[in-house]
Amino acid sequence: MQITLVQGLLMLLVGFICSIDQQTEAFYWFRPMVASFFTGIVLGNAELGAECGAVAELAYLGMTNVGGTVPPDPLFAGIMTVVLAYTTGQTPEAALGLSYPFALLAQALGIMFKTVYSFVPHKLDGYAKEGNVKAFNGLIIGVTILESAVTAVVIFLCVYALQSPIQAFVNSFPVWVTHGFAIAGGVLPAVGLAMLLLTTLKSETYPYLFIGFILETILANIVTADGNAVFATVMPVAIIGTCLAAINYMYEKRIDQAIALAGSGSNGGDSDGI
Amino acid sequence: MASSDEEIKKTPETSGKLSSADITKLGLNSLFEQVAFSFERMQAPGWTMNMIPAFKKIYGEDDKKDLEEFMTYNMEFINTEPHMATVLQSIVISMEEQHQDRDLIKGVRNGLFGPLAGLGDSIFWFTVLPITAAISCSLASSGSILGPIIFILVYLAVGFSRIPFAHLGYNIGSKALTSIGENTKYLTKAAAILGTTVVGALIPSYVTVAFSDALVFGVDGSSTVQSVFNHILPSLLPLAVVFLIYALFKKKHANVFYIILGIILISILMSFLGWM
Repeated sequence: MQITLVQGLLMLLVGFICSIDQQTEAFYWFRPMVASFFTGIVLGNAELGAECGAVAELAYLGMTNVGGTVPPDPLFAGIMTVVLAYTTGQTPEAALGLSYPFALLAQALGIMFKTVYSFVPHKLDGYAKEGNVKAFNGLIIGVTILESAVTAVVIFLCVYALQSPIQAFVNSFPVWVTHGFAIAGGVLPAVGLAMLLLTTLKSETYPYLFIGFILETILANIVTADGNAVFATVMPVAIIGTCLAAINYMYEKRIDQAIALAGSGSNGGDSDGI
Repeated sequence: MASSDEEIKKTPETSGKLSSADITKLGLNSLFEQVAFSFERMQAPGWTMNMIPAFKKIYGEDDKKDLEEFMTYNMEFINTEPHMATVLQSIVISMEEQHQDRDLIKGVRNGLFGPLAGLGDSIFWFTVLPITAAISCSLASSGSILGPIIFILVYLAVGFSRIPFAHLGYNIGSKALTSIGENTKYLTKAAAILGTTVVGALIPSYVTVAFSDALVFGVDGSSTVQSVFNHILPSLLPLAVVFLIYALFKKKHANVFYIILGIILISILMSFLGWM
């Protein structure tokens, strides 16, 4: 299906707002779940937006800005997964695989801004020394709006202006290629999860990974007589995880207190006894 | 010159008091803590900008000298998790209000942003996000718009939690810094446990790796390869793929670009061979 100029312009607006949010990380509207949903609304198919958002969100789960890094861009992935599914009729999984070049393009754009903007603090140092709050705030707000505006224009180009060549390109693929992208779409969440594990997985948290894995494997296979899952979300596992975390918190604290007490006691004992 | 300045600063008449509304405003301002981010100074511009209104309330509009000093030392490098930045900003403001020594304030600022980033990341990126994503994705994957709506509502609450965080930091002031330090350790660990449990649960539900039913073995070709894996452990392949990618990141420091490219290429190959 085609995207109209009005829809393209609305996407310009969505892109601008979500890009501001991406810079501030205020409300997480740059996450694929939200960006896809907004894109779905603009395209008149909110359900498709939700479906694509689910697929893309999980693939980009570990792509965080932690430590000031810039990952492949979740905002572009969210928007382009819906757009590609909508215009080319591919499944959300295949569209996610196809959206990857756009996520890389936006990543490059983000890195460019964060590198070029290294001049900003030097200008701000000058304003700080003069106590010039007006110029100080003005420059900060200016560069923020500029970055969002450029991002929004790039989104407009990807979504509207280039839709015909992109469509023609995708449609020229043989079936085994698009099916390959669909397989990749199913595997990509593993990247997001593996990246999350890089920070949370340590020797002492390994058991919890398997507890969660086995619990969900069991729960997901509990179905009612008519084949519906009894536990439709991972909420039960999240609750059990919270309990495990709380138990660990209390016990570790108590053990450390006991060690501290025992330490002071045994010091006395040592000097007395031996 | 220093001593006479000090004298004036410490008199109660010249020091403005911040109201509860001022702290709430500081919390709201800190929604923009990360603007004008650059690799050189990272969050310093937004961090400084957010605190200026509260600082002016303490020192008055006319105190240029203190404002210059305040803006200059806050323009030093800083990078922390945005919600924790709110806590730290209000600690800094609270210490400024008490007219603590600026070297002490700087020490608190520069000493705490790292540990707080670790705590904030483990809470917000590695616990809140996976759980919220898991719940909203399980609804959204069947096309229910309730999924994204829940996600948006949760993150509205998370975004505005900066207001209580600002009050928390202000009340802590410089007093209880040691107690934050102590509890950080336990909280970070607890958050890691919850996050890991949820990630474990996400593997079977969201990673799809399965061989095609057309891929069979045996003399009569009666067993599919996938059925063997299912007999060992359902979702064994997704688990194995996650660990493989994890190992590539951890041991080989693989670039995410090549991992994703590799997945796409192998998937297309699998599709071409008709194995998946």
